[in-house]
Amino acid sequence: MTGVRYRIEARGLTQRFGRNVIFKNLNFALETGSSFCITGANGSGKSTLLKILAGIQAPSDGSVTYADISRGALIKECSSCIGYTGPLVNPYDDLTALENIYFASGRAEKSRIDSLLKCFHLTGHEDKKIRHYSSGMKQRLRIILADLNDPPILILDEPGTNLDESGRRILRSYLDSVSVEKAVILATNDRDEEKLCGRGIRLG
Amino acid sequence: MTGMKKNCAAGGYGLVREILRNLSKDFSVEFRTRFALNVSIAFAVTATVSVSLTAGGVPFPSLVQSILLWMIIFFSAMNGLSHIFVREEDQATALFLRITMSADSIFISKFIYNQSFMMIVLAVVTPLFLFFLQVKVILISYFVLTILSGGLSIAAGATILAAMVAKAGGKGSLFSILSFPLLLPVLWVSIFATKNSLDGARPADYNSLVFLLAFSGFISAISFLLFRFVWIED
Amino acid sequence: MLIRQVIKSFYILMPLAILMAFLWAPSAEILGDFSRIIYFHVPLAWVSVLAFLVSGVLSAAYLFDKKQRYPWLDEKAFNSASIGMAFALLAVITGSLWAKLTWGSFWNWDPRETSIVVILLIYIAYFSLRSALAGNDRRGVIGSSYLILAMMTLPFFVFLAPRIYDSLHPETIINADRTPHLDDRMRMTLLISIFAFTSLYAYILHLMNRALAVAKRLEEEYHAAD
Repeated sequence: MTGVRYRIEARGLTQRFGRNVIFKNLNFALETGSSFCITGANGSGKSTLLKILAGIQAPSDGSVTYADISRGALIKECSSCIGYTGPLVNPYDDLTALENIYFASGRAEKSRIDSLLKCFHLTGHEDKKIRHYSSGMKQRLRIILADLNDPPILILDEPGTNLDESGRRILRSYLDSVSVEKAVILATNDRDEEKLCGRGIRLG
Repeated sequence: MTGMKKNCAAGGYGLVREILRNLSKDFSVEFRTRFALNVSIAFAVTATVSVSLTAGGVPFPSLVQSILLWMIIFFSAMNGLSHIFVREEDQATALFLRITMSADSIFISKFIYNQSFMMIVLAVVTPLFLFFLQVKVILISYFVLTILSGGLSIAAGATILAAMVAKAGGKGSLFSILSFPLLLPVLWVSIFATKNSLDGARPADYNSLVFLLAFSGFISAISFLLFRFVWIED
Repeated sequence: MLIRQVIKSFYILMPLAILMAFLWAPSAEILGDFSRIIYFHVPLAWVSVLAFLVSGVLSAAYLFDKKQRYPWLDEKAFNSASIGMAFALLAVITGSLWAKLTWGSFWNWDPRETSIVVILLIYIAYFSLRSALAGNDRRGVIGSSYLILAMMTLPFFVFLAPRIYDSLHPETIINADRTPHLDDRMRMTLLISIFAFTSLYAYILHLMNRALAVAKRLEEEYHAAD
């Protein structure tokens, strides 16, 4: 990742459902090497905002732009420059963890896969079907899948869901280490995770 | 880092790799459970055997045989062709798939999957039907070509409809209701071509095969263009 | 606006068409006064095709109009398809009456009859799809995609299949509907009647779209109240 810097910028993001305004005119930008937290009550539009930032959903108004600032170029279609996961991103139940990983990537090196599995304490479980995983293991796999391709922008929706105390500790140290070289955007209501973030906004 | 740059600008090669990855995933998932395939084959066997049973060993006229054959093929296929998309919604894996690859790769790989599924159904239904209903095929190559191109057309048209039905909540009978009128030209042409092959009326030109192939190509192209609208929610 | 002119012309064209059809146009040599049904059957069939085409075009516009600059295009496509359905049913009824008088039976699977039945089935499927999608925010996109698919496959059925299959269905090309033995007064009456029915279609679609706008406005007011 060294030497390459990405920038993600939100301008005037507004989301409406019918006449309900969920959020209005949000402006912020962040670059690789920093982290950003989005907090707020349930239904305040955190997940929607993250989906918009990840390019999965279009906002009612405003725009999100991605740029490779080391080359000074805007990137139009950047789906593979973004790692996204959330509670609705479900791996295939009938496949093993490793098969899910190969499906999501296809080109991640074996060493990277091994180190991610080790980091999230899933080594030894990679040949089990996801059907037999506990919800905490599934959540750890979600984060592996999001970061698998080493994307410069990592967008995580409630990454601590279903994790026990040790799982949360692993997650925090992992996020701490990747935010040195990536732009990390979190939606969370966990105080300890919020502390990791340099900046943030509160919705609702 | 070089690897990432390559992926950010995924070209034609990236598309092929995505399609292969999705195909291998779909084949593993579907053939581990074999739900859709089992239902289709079970339907085909039940329908064929019960028709043969009620006929009591008396062979039908060739037109009736062709109609029965295509009805059994059509409804067996209808039991399985939508599963490839409905499963993604049922098991809530659609968002994972959506963020993993482009809509184009998804459509092409599901299309290829459905074509292979159709070929398996044909490979089971047709011999079974010939065996149980005492059908004598006079023009074998014409018969085989008709079955193959008719199956191709059905699977081609059904793929985009499967995607729509999946987004509509995967209601089972809706899929047949949507597919039947759109695929009626295919069935109609296939039935008459099959009848000719049973009667030994060799056609001067292969117009019906040309029609079936043209229809498949045309509907695949339209489906490919429409798919991104149906698939991507924004 | 053009639409208002078209609607106004309906009040002149429709009575004129009816008067011409029954009083001015001569009766046909063989069929006698029965032949006057042509002035209603042909325009009805034409309008149903037009309405289905318009619904397909509106659907395509809906899919490409991401910013929703033109509101509710999918529902307008639905309105046009429902008018098309009603007119197609009327065309079937008038057609089978005519078939009874000329061919001796109400229904005999002539290629035109086959194609109209398939068209009806396709649009019945569309209405089922719409109702299956009630309350789903993907309703507009999926309904519109199906209408486009339907519009694109129609030519295959109506024109191509019978022509490739000419050995089986030679009547399509020389159809009874397309008898060229019309004298000038008959032709004139048919033309006026086609214009009259087209303006009727425009009128109904305009009314339905206005009713739609009012319903949407009411819905918004209702939601704004809570």
